[in-house]
Amino acid sequence: MSDYICHDFKTPRNDTSRRLPDTFKAVPLFFFLSLVGSAYFMTMDWMAYKHAQKTKIEAEARKTELDEAAKKLTDEKAVLDTETAKAESLAKWMEGARNVQPIATAIARAMPPEVRLSDLNLERSEQVPSNLSLSLRINGGSAAEVSLIETGLSRLQYRSFSPQQNKNEEVIEYRSTLVRQEQ
Amino acid sequence: MNPKQLACVVLMIIIGIITYGAQIVHKKVSAMREDATAAEDAAIASDTARQTAEILVTRTKADTEELRRFLSIWTPFSQRTQTAQDVDNAFDFSLRERGISLVNARSSSPKDIRGDKFIPKVIQTKLVIEDEYNKVMNWFGDIEKRLPLSRVTACSLTGGSTVRQMRLDVTIETPMVDAAATLDAKVEKKKKS
Repeated sequence: MSDYICHDFKTPRNDTSRRLPDTFKAVPLFFFLSLVGSAYFMTMDWMAYKHAQKTKIEAEARKTELDEAAKKLTDEKAVLDTETAKAESLAKWMEGARNVQPIATAIARAMPPEVRLSDLNLERSEQVPSNLSLSLRINGGSAAEVSLIETGLSRLQYRSFSPQQNKNEEVIEYRSTLVRQEQ
Repeated sequence: MNPKQLACVVLMIIIGIITYGAQIVHKKVSAMREDATAAEDAAIASDTARQTAEILVTRTKADTEELRRFLSIWTPFSQRTQTAQDVDNAFDFSLRERGISLVNARSSSPKDIRGDKFIPKVIQTKLVIEDEYNKVMNWFGDIEKRLPLSRVTACSLTGGSTVRQMRLDVTIETPMVDAAATLDAKVEKKKKS
């Protein structure tokens, strides 16, 4: 490399390029302002992002927990509903399963010694199982025995519905539907 | 284009990139904020749903307490007779205990109940016995006590072969309760209504 070239290279040169317009002088200033501004806004945004992310995660966790609790409660209600349906079914059955022996005993006890109860039929209604169809025949009795029977039945909370009685010589035929009276 | 102008253009490009980047970041933050708000709203909705479910459960518990207590009281009795053999045994034991020796007729048959999952079947027992009045009536009371869920569907009391004797012709239905049945409460309610 020759000395001339080195010397020529280090020689200060005059700025020969055209000066920038005045408006362009603001560009470096805008650059620095944008650097500072973006650093500020990005920092704020980053913090807001993290905060929102945390809030979202917390809210989702809370939602999952609450959904599980709600599901448990729904399951519990389903169990309660099933139990209730079973209880209602059983209660409906039990309504038609009241003891019949006390009725038969009450009717037999209502008869005075000189009167003979020759036939006693009790039949449960298929449509309304709590109702009983009663038919009986009394030998040597009168209407007084029928009222004694009705009194005995009312003590067991049964009411005679549409009673019918026929007297054929010494035999009284009595029919009625026994309806349970709720207290 | 001289180097100064070039530098200005480069700076402006960098400013543009920085602004664009900041905008993208800001949009992401906005989206995350919206997501967080939506998640909070969803959590509030879930809380409301849980509270509603809790109220429903509490109300159902209070409303059905008596019925459920009724079921819990009667369930052990229903579990005593699970088969036709259990029913037959109860009848045998009762007849033996009450000293009824003359059984004129006896039959036992299962009968299906359609549409009832809880009591899908009953055992229908038909029995004709003849003995003294006291013995017959005591047996009748005893079998109703021994099988408390049983339902006497028909009963006929007539005079026996002698003056002291009495003849009882009775049909008793004993339910076979399926305690493990899963009932659809809505369907059951519809049936009742």
